[in-house]
Amino acid sequence: MIPETPDELDALAGEYVLGVLEPHDAQEIEAALATNAELRRAVAFWAEHLHPLSALASPVEPPAGVWGGIVARLDGPARNPSSSRWWNRATPWRWSTAGFAAAAAGLALYITLTPMSSAPSFVAVLHAPQQDQASWVATAGRAGLLVRAVAGGTPPSDRVFELWAIAPGGAQPQSLGVIPPDGVLRLGGLPDVVRDGATLAISVEPPGGSPTKQPTGPVVFVGALKAM
Amino acid sequence: MRPENGPLAALFMDDNQATALSSSAILIAAVGRGSRSALKRLYELESRRLYGIALRIVRRPEIAADVLQDVFIQVWQNARTFSAERGAGSAWLTGIVRFRALDAVRKLGREIPSGDPSLGDEAVEPNVIEQIDAKAEAVALRRCLASLDENQRRCVVLAFVDGFSHAEIAQRLSAPLGSVKSWVRRGLLALRSCLQS
Repeated sequence: MIPETPDELDALAGEYVLGVLEPHDAQEIEAALATNAELRRAVAFWAEHLHPLSALASPVEPPAGVWGGIVARLDGPARNPSSSRWWNRATPWRWSTAGFAAAAAGLALYITLTPMSSAPSFVAVLHAPQQDQASWVATAGRAGLLVRAVAGGTPPSDRVFELWAIAPGGAQPQSLGVIPPDGVLRLGGLPDVVRDGATLAISVEPPGGSPTKQPTGPVVFVGALKAM
Repeated sequence: MRPENGPLAALFMDDNQATALSSSAILIAAVGRGSRSALKRLYELESRRLYGIALRIVRRPEIAADVLQDVFIQVWQNARTFSAERGAGSAWLTGIVRFRALDAVRKLGREIPSGDPSLGDEAVEPNVIEQIDAKAEAVALRRCLASLDENQRRCVVLAFVDGFSHAEIAQRLSAPLGSVKSWVRRGLLALRSCLQS
């Protein structure tokens, strides 16, 4: 429960930035950041103002192999960043972390667990931009598109999740519909935009979905469709 | 405002120029456009500081090295979401390394040093105020930390710098858990009102 009084909100945000909250309380904050501008402001305040304290940790030369390890991982199978994506512009909170590697691990697990007889043509693992955990799995094929919550499938109260697809290299998200409360969305056919390399994203929207045909709330989950 | 830190500055230079400059924010913006040389330069500029922060929290060099690697992978993947107008690149990096280091501590655990120099541990946060940078951005924090009572100040420092939980602070200060929680909270509120004044 995120408090509404300024003192309580600021104290909680400060505890979050300090890192003293229990994991489930910290997760509650992270989920609420997507929709609570006051909380975002409070967290940004503490991150900025407490930062000079980090100078109390003396700089230390890192082991020689660290940079080489970074290069090896960048040259490996992980994704490279690309040009500015619409969800970064649309998201008011600049997410501090992401979990592409974890999403890839989740994808591998999903593939492992999926019987070959029902192998989909496309698959995507969606994750919250600040968390390592795969949260949604999307599969698409001749039978249509199925998006299912793995974790974190509940929108904030009085809000809904809406699913969007962006063609590879495209800038305009296309709505694929509001995700029902049970966290499972099925589409009978495949819109043209659902193809290899397309991006799927889930935003937080008012009941009934975005009134503007473009995302109006923050993008809380994102992932890329890969051909199988 | 120094021109190399302005939010628009990045629009007027190519990534080679950006790499030659030493502002973290400019380098992060160039990394966001896919510049590997900017990432290398950022590593040269920030790795000792970030490794020091990680090591202070996780206390084991091999884990701190993993944390540092994760940080730069994450910077490569997320740099495009960094918005220079939000503030200093170094604060953004500090947030990432602390998040990663605290995550590693939660997963892997660590030993909490006693704070007793006779056992080879560092004394509890000596002369904290004097050690904080004299840079402009830190002046207000120095002044406001000095205005806290000692228990509140020690709690905030142990949590932020050492990554201690409430329970670990209580153990370190030999104080009841409830008192520590209250000191953290009151310390934060006192800091906020001082910083905003």
